[in-house]
Amino acid sequence: MLQDFGYLAPKSLTELYAVLKKNSGKAIILAGGTDVIVNMHNGCVAPATLVDIKKIAELGGIKYNSKTGLSIGATVTCVEVAENKDVIKHYPLLAKAVGEIGSPQLRNRATVAGNVCTASPCADSSCALMALGASVELSSADGVRAVALKDFFLGPKKTQIKPHEVLTRITVPADMTGAAYGMNKLKRIKGHDIALVSVAIAKTEKIMRVAVGSAAPTPVVTKDLAANATLKETLSAVSAVAKPIDDVRASKDYREFMISNYVEQIYTELFNAKGCKK
Amino acid sequence: MLDTIPSKDLKHIGKPVERDDAIEKLTGQALYTGDLEFAGMLHAKLLRSPYARAKIISIDISKAQKLPGVHAVLTGKDLHYRVGLYLVDKHIMAKHVTRHFGEAVAAVAAETPEIAQKAVDLIKVEYEELTPFLDATKVFDKDVPLVHPDLGRYSYIKEVFTPVPGTNIANHTKLRKGDVEEGFKNADYVFEREYTNPNVQHVPMETHIAIGKWDIGDRITIYTSAQSPFTVRNLFSFSFGISHSNIRVITPYVGGGFGGKAGIGLEPLVCCLSKAAGGRHVKLQATREEEFSLLPCRSGLTYRIKTGVMKSGKILAQKMTMFWDAGAYADYAVNVTRASGFSASGPYEIENAWVDAYSVYTNKPFGTAYRGFGHVEFSWGVERQMNYIADRLSIDPFEFRKINAIKPGSKTMTGEVITDHSGNVTKCMETVAKAINYGKLTATEKARELKTGMKIGKSVVALHKAPAMPSMTGTVVILKLNEDASVTVNHALTEIGMGTYTSLRQIIAEVLRWPVERIKIPIENDTDRDPYDWQTVASKGLLLSGNAAILAAQDLLDKCYDIAAQALRAMKCDLDHDAEKVFVRHKHESFITFKQMSVGYAYPNGNAICGPVVAIGRYIAQGLTNLDKENSQGYPAIDWTFGAHGVITEVNPKTGAFNVIKVASAYDVGRVINEESVRGQAIGGMIQGLGTAMCEGYIYNKDGKLLNPSFTDNKIPTALDLPEEIECFAVETPQVDGPFGARGVGEHSMIAVCGGVGNAIEKAVGADLTHMPIRAEDVWKALQKKLKPVKAKKK
Amino acid sequence: MKIKLTVNGKKYERDASESKNLLHFIREDLGLTGTKEGCGAGECGACTVIMDGKTVNSCLVLAVEADGTTIQTVEGEAKNGKLSKLQTAFKANHAVQCGFCTAGMLMSSRALLNKNPKPTVDEIKHAIEGNFCRCTGYTQIIEAVQDASGQLKKRGGLKRA
Repeated sequence: MLQDFGYLAPKSLTELYAVLKKNSGKAIILAGGTDVIVNMHNGCVAPATLVDIKKIAELGGIKYNSKTGLSIGATVTCVEVAENKDVIKHYPLLAKAVGEIGSPQLRNRATVAGNVCTASPCADSSCALMALGASVELSSADGVRAVALKDFFLGPKKTQIKPHEVLTRITVPADMTGAAYGMNKLKRIKGHDIALVSVAIAKTEKIMRVAVGSAAPTPVVTKDLAANATLKETLSAVSAVAKPIDDVRASKDYREFMISNYVEQIYTELFNAKGCKK
Repeated sequence: MLDTIPSKDLKHIGKPVERDDAIEKLTGQALYTGDLEFAGMLHAKLLRSPYARAKIISIDISKAQKLPGVHAVLTGKDLHYRVGLYLVDKHIMAKHVTRHFGEAVAAVAAETPEIAQKAVDLIKVEYEELTPFLDATKVFDKDVPLVHPDLGRYSYIKEVFTPVPGTNIANHTKLRKGDVEEGFKNADYVFEREYTNPNVQHVPMETHIAIGKWDIGDRITIYTSAQSPFTVRNLFSFSFGISHSNIRVITPYVGGGFGGKAGIGLEPLVCCLSKAAGGRHVKLQATREEEFSLLPCRSGLTYRIKTGVMKSGKILAQKMTMFWDAGAYADYAVNVTRASGFSASGPYEIENAWVDAYSVYTNKPFGTAYRGFGHVEFSWGVERQMNYIADRLSIDPFEFRKINAIKPGSKTMTGEVITDHSGNVTKCMETVAKAINYGKLTATEKARELKTGMKIGKSVVALHKAPAMPSMTGTVVILKLNEDASVTVNHALTEIGMGTYTSLRQIIAEVLRWPVERIKIPIENDTDRDPYDWQTVASKGLLLSGNAAILAAQDLLDKCYDIAAQALRAMKCDLDHDAEKVFVRHKHESFITFKQMSVGYAYPNGNAICGPVVAIGRYIAQGLTNLDKENSQGYPAIDWTFGAHGVITEVNPKTGAFNVIKVASAYDVGRVINEESVRGQAIGGMIQGLGTAMCEGYIYNKDGKLLNPSFTDNKIPTALDLPEEIECFAVETPQVDGPFGARGVGEHSMIAVCGGVGNAIEKAVGADLTHMPIRAEDVWKALQKKLKPVKAKKK
Repeated sequence: MKIKLTVNGKKYERDASESKNLLHFIREDLGLTGTKEGCGAGECGACTVIMDGKTVNSCLVLAVEADGTTIQTVEGEAKNGKLSKLQTAFKANHAVQCGFCTAGMLMSSRALLNKNPKPTVDEIKHAIEGNFCRCTGYTQIIEAVQDASGQLKKRGGLKRA
């Protein structure tokens, strides 16, 4: 590549924390590389060191337990999540959302955690995860803290991750198991494209949440809605959080229209009990 | 030639012979320019302007020059050469001013690309940003910034082009046929509308790349991914004042061109870097981002069409004004203006026509040749206009097209009379109309509408194009007979993917009556070794090189018959041949094999006659004339390829989202030489046309900065973007002077797709679109201001 | 950094620059130039190789990340000088024009057929969705994969009017 940088591949979390501390501010974590390396190619970032976390065993693995829910390690790829039996069975919204990220080549490398950490307003996985009430575990030498995903994003490409912290796992609560769902995203072509807007809805017997992407500086989610919220209430909750803008990809007006359109379409399908489909 | 032989009597012509070069490409053995390495080769990187228009106040290259591993640093002021295909207006790098976002300002040659990039990052440029000129339609406004204040001092081809110094008009092509004002007076209705499309990038999968070496003694060697090695050589010679014989241009495998590699590109710069670096090879590979903004693109177009028509549907008069947004340099764009000028009405007969086509300089990446050479851009306007008029006359748009379609006896806009063997656009239209069940929705389609809530619309559109080329375009094919009676072919048409090489092998094999496997065409072209060919553009390759190939094969046989007549002591008229030998017709045991003749024939006693067999076939376009500069009357077209599409779309009447359900395409190719090559061009071009129609186009901010210089926001169709159904037809009205009656079809498949899609969408949901690309959002916006069906008002 | 990897069945041990991507490593250090660079940003798929059984854009993988992996590139598709069934099908179905996307296209198709020997047209389209082709319009490529998997009823498709 055109930039010079060093490469480190710690084998344990302890080693990772030490590396992050030593290279404070000059190192970037490398998981799938599908965002980091592209950003380096575009000249957006120029790290002195890339720290590859894929050799750390604790960061792998997808675990499911009916009591504690789903736990996805930081190095788990999109394709692993999309094809995982437990995810497909218990959190099909997540399997679907992640299965539509990018192209097959990208999904084979990109990690869901990386997609979340990139904190793009249009992150495909984040909407599904936020609708499912997911949280992230942020770890450092000082311990682990859990942050709800809805609080995790601070702005475009900005998250709550402190220096020396690393996202180690994404957790999805057990009470969203088997949630009815719907999602849709607007693209310019049928092939891989960044979402111009995206909507993900998850609904259980108790609550409903609508998450929207590409409609604010971060992916956003409504407050928890009643499971029997009306369409009007749902649309109102959505417009409280989704404030799209004009850009080269689409206009504010069309985005607003399509967000309402997707919400209405998915809501109708969910409440007509036609099953969980787009 | 050989156009009257019935297809059933042809052995190789019309068959889907497999491509020879596929093996190297499938195994990774094919060497493209980027795969070549030379001892001591340096790598180049560029510094490019972030402004659409700026004065260069200073450039400090001192730190870059000192970086270890750097062998040369150049800026515009070091290079006193100008290039230009038709109008010599471009310095090799920006000198004093930069004229478009992404223009090269400085270049470094270093031992690795990383060192070169580091050096580029050390170069400091001070700019004074200036107000850019960005709207081509404002070309007649007073006091607009001049992109080329020195336009009056540039040399250009006076017989063909008309720049207007003191303005931003690089070329003004005028066409005047009949009396257009009289036509409007006599017409029952007059309709006037404007249609637009943006700059679009070719997106060859292989970006532009060149390796240059400038030896002491001014001997130049260039390896380049180019469509026209002889044009590179010629322009290089002109710009640098070096003899053609001292410039060697080699094109290895080429990863796509689509017109973007038709002229001269990175070659002068890499050679200048090589000279500055003491004669080492220098390689410059454009990044994808540079492909979008440094290298040229397709000009944008604002097209104003005013049509006078009778209530019967017959078009009487049409006035066409084209503002070509040609970007910062004239390059090919001036010729696109000219060539589209003479085709600007589409394949319809216009009794009284008036065209003003302006090639306008703007401060944007400049336009060059692009598949279709202006026809895609104006066809959008023409085909939308045809539907617009038909709807207001309450005539079915397909019927309207048939009423006005060019037929034998029609006069084109330049005054050429169409004949029985020009091609049949009506048959193309009828074929595709049938293939899409035009005029009704089938039961399946009705059921689909009910089920999905989408609305289905259908359209038929038509197209035509002639090669836009100099009136004396010629080519040569040389056949060298090898010792094993295989033949190696030398010619300089480049294989940029279209498959013409395979068609040429079939043509040669057919004349020789040999198996196609014995005909070998090396992929690499070399101006030192190969005979001249003008360029690989314009859909003229099959026609001209095919004819030259026939003549070469006939020459080979003639030369072998000469040897055989001597050796067999027979008269030439009594000889015949098969795949292996030339023999006496009435005494088959008297024969001599091609192998025996290949490098000279020796009698049994050792006496030798003749010599190595090398055959030559030369062909040149005949009867073409330059166009009169005042009215564009003349004979510019060696042939016309006509075509049509039938398009079915379904549209969401609420959101504007749409799918292309089917595209049926028909082209009058004269004679199919290779079935799957024709189909490959038909589908490949159609998909590229869909890209133009649906998702491609440059987006600038108000300062002329390109906002989508990469695949992130400049999308092209993927495998998921295919129409559900694709059907391709060949109509075969033989081209009398084409090889076995064939015509080219390389560009045509792109031309009218956009109009087909736009019209079908309008038919489905009434959305009136006049700008490309057509995104779902554009359909939605058009639906918001849907025009009520309006009956045409009498004047 | 020293890395060990298996490419097209052959074991390699090399000193790889830490800042070099796998694409350039394959092309420059191993001399396998069949895999191409089309964009350097993971969009076009021209650089697709199969790594541990899965397709990846090699422009987005560092050479050092490939330590310990098994890789197939286009050069590994033909065996003992003979074209594979997939390559033969590409040739027979005119699925190659300029050839620049071909290496990546083959790898995506190969990975698909390894996992799914009888893919539907839709599955083929999804498998090659990350491989841009500007020349063919994809159709003959899809037919080639169908042909290679014994599912193509008839080759060709140009109709005469």
